Amino acid sequence: MKGILKTRLIHWKKHWFSLLIWLLFPLIATVGITSVTNIIQDDTKVPVGLTLEEQTNAAMELYHKIKETPFIRVFELDEDEALYKLKKHDLDSVFIIKDGYEEELRNGNRNQLVTSYRSDLSFAYTPVKEMIISYVQQETGRSKAAYVVQELTKRYPTNKQFSWNQIEKKSKEIQNDKNLLNTAFSFSNTPIREHNETQLFSIWGLWAVFSILSTLLLFDWVIKEKRASVIQRFPFLRVSIKHYMLGNILLYGCLLFFIDLVTLCVVNMMFDVSKHIWSVVSFRILITIAAYIIANRCKQTFLFYTLSFAITLLIAISSGAILPTTGITERWPWMGSLNPIQPFLAGQFTNPWLFIVILVSILGYIRKEKINA
Amino acid sequence: MLSIESLSKSYRKNNILIDISFTVNPGEIVGLVGENGAGKSTMLKILATLSQPSAGTIALNSLPYQRNTKNVRKLIGFVPQDIALWEEFTVEENMTFFEKLSWKNKTNKQLRELCLEMKLEKWKEPVYTLSGGMKRKLNIAISLIHDPILLLLDEPTVGIDLKSRKEIGAYLQAQAKNNGTMILYTSHDMDEIISLCDRIYCIGKDPFYYKVLQDSGKNPILL
Repeated sequence: MKGILKTRLIHWKKHWFSLLIWLLFPLIATVGITSVTNIIQDDTKVPVGLTLEEQTNAAMELYHKIKETPFIRVFELDEDEALYKLKKHDLDSVFIIKDGYEEELRNGNRNQLVTSYRSDLSFAYTPVKEMIISYVQQETGRSKAAYVVQELTKRYPTNKQFSWNQIEKKSKEIQNDKNLLNTAFSFSNTPIREHNETQLFSIWGLWAVFSILSTLLLFDWVIKEKRASVIQRFPFLRVSIKHYMLGNILLYGCLLFFIDLVTLCVVNMMFDVSKHIWSVVSFRILITIAAYIIANRCKQTFLFYTLSFAITLLIAISSGAILPTTGITERWPWMGSLNPIQPFLAGQFTNPWLFIVILVSILGYIRKEKINA
Repeated sequence: MLSIESLSKSYRKNNILIDISFTVNPGEIVGLVGENGAGKSTMLKILATLSQPSAGTIALNSLPYQRNTKNVRKLIGFVPQDIALWEEFTVEENMTFFEKLSWKNKTNKQLRELCLEMKLEKWKEPVYTLSGGMKRKLNIAISLIHDPILLLLDEPTVGIDLKSRKEIGAYLQAQAKNNGTMILYTSHDMDEIISLCDRIYCIGKDPFYYKVLQDSGKNPILL
């Protein structure tokens, strides 16, 4: 293996630039596209100024909820600065969470908790205001419920005493568990279908598509080296062509996996999106073996490059990245499982395609052994 | 010693080689001549264990070819007719590449010396910049990395200048004389064969090569 590594290093030294480009291509393309998309999304969001006159839990919670709203870009500012920016029309509207917000909320007071400002050019003021009101009402409703529960425990004394925080926590749990806004209906005696469709235009979806392409293109060495005249020398060398190829697949697999780990760290740091390492391992093994099998079947590099782009495009399309495939996958759910990216996106280690490529490579190995015998 | 006894090879119904027997002693250079399609390359392929004979036995230093392919291959150096080199690698990288996969470990200095013995001085030059003669020399040098006792050369000097041919010839003679390497050589160049080989075998039905060799005072053997 040491000898194979040294020979591969000579090859890599000769093609270090293209090797580096294709190794980093999935990472660069994924980070690049995601960053650009985020910037565009941020620019199209409604700029809203928010002033926090108090830093209580309830006020901070409302602030985070507003911040997490997809179409709003929140700027936390003091009142003067926020109003100045509103005057300049840098902000669409300004909302001030008043001092005593939490106390008023606990007292069940729903009025004059938040002050809002708009300008003559504010186009999204009303929907943003309504949204903030709904958040506040949700919290006042929760406070009301807590108040009622505490009153009931006072009126009908029991052994159990619930604190305000306990009631609030339980209320949030119930809200999360019983998603009243998204209820699934089904015909009698038919199971309710879980609607947990994995979207491809996620960071990992993009990365998976780019990884397939880069791995395929990196494996052109198989065709180039099998076609080379030096192949005639292998019968007289210590390392057979079969072991040379296997060793190199392993080396490429390790190198690519190392880059995958770097990608995991970078993506996690930049976008706070993680992926289970075992699903990355499984996906890496799958595309490395598949790339070798395809390259091994091709005699011309041009054909291989064409095939590589075609396969990548097919996988990207069938995943719903380019054209929506919801109609097809809803009608024929097995179509979704045909896509090699889906198990990876779902975070699974087991991928049916992995077993297929391993089986194909074992059969190919046995066939070659028989021919050589 | 390489001994070949009653060797035959046929493809479907065509008999390429029929009942061939000869020996090659250590330090001997043996030439194989014949018209195109006479079976020279087939013969070399069989002796290089790359093809199976239809009949007959072969033994290298008493080691029979049958069921000993791997061990026999360790003792053979095969110089293919094509230039089997990595074109974008330098001479040094080519030598290192094959040394790393070879049966014998050699230092960089030993590899360099091997090239210098063949008058191949351009150590750091990429192969694609070398002349045909230099490439041929490197083609042979790589086959000698593991110090084979039998060297099989399939038209190793085709298409190169006279000076390079002479240098290769001189090196092969020194290799046979100093190291006792058995050398089996095929070529269409009669002058080269006549000057280089201790013994010459003629393969095929065409008596042309046989007559040319007889006229030059050599004693060719018909196979």
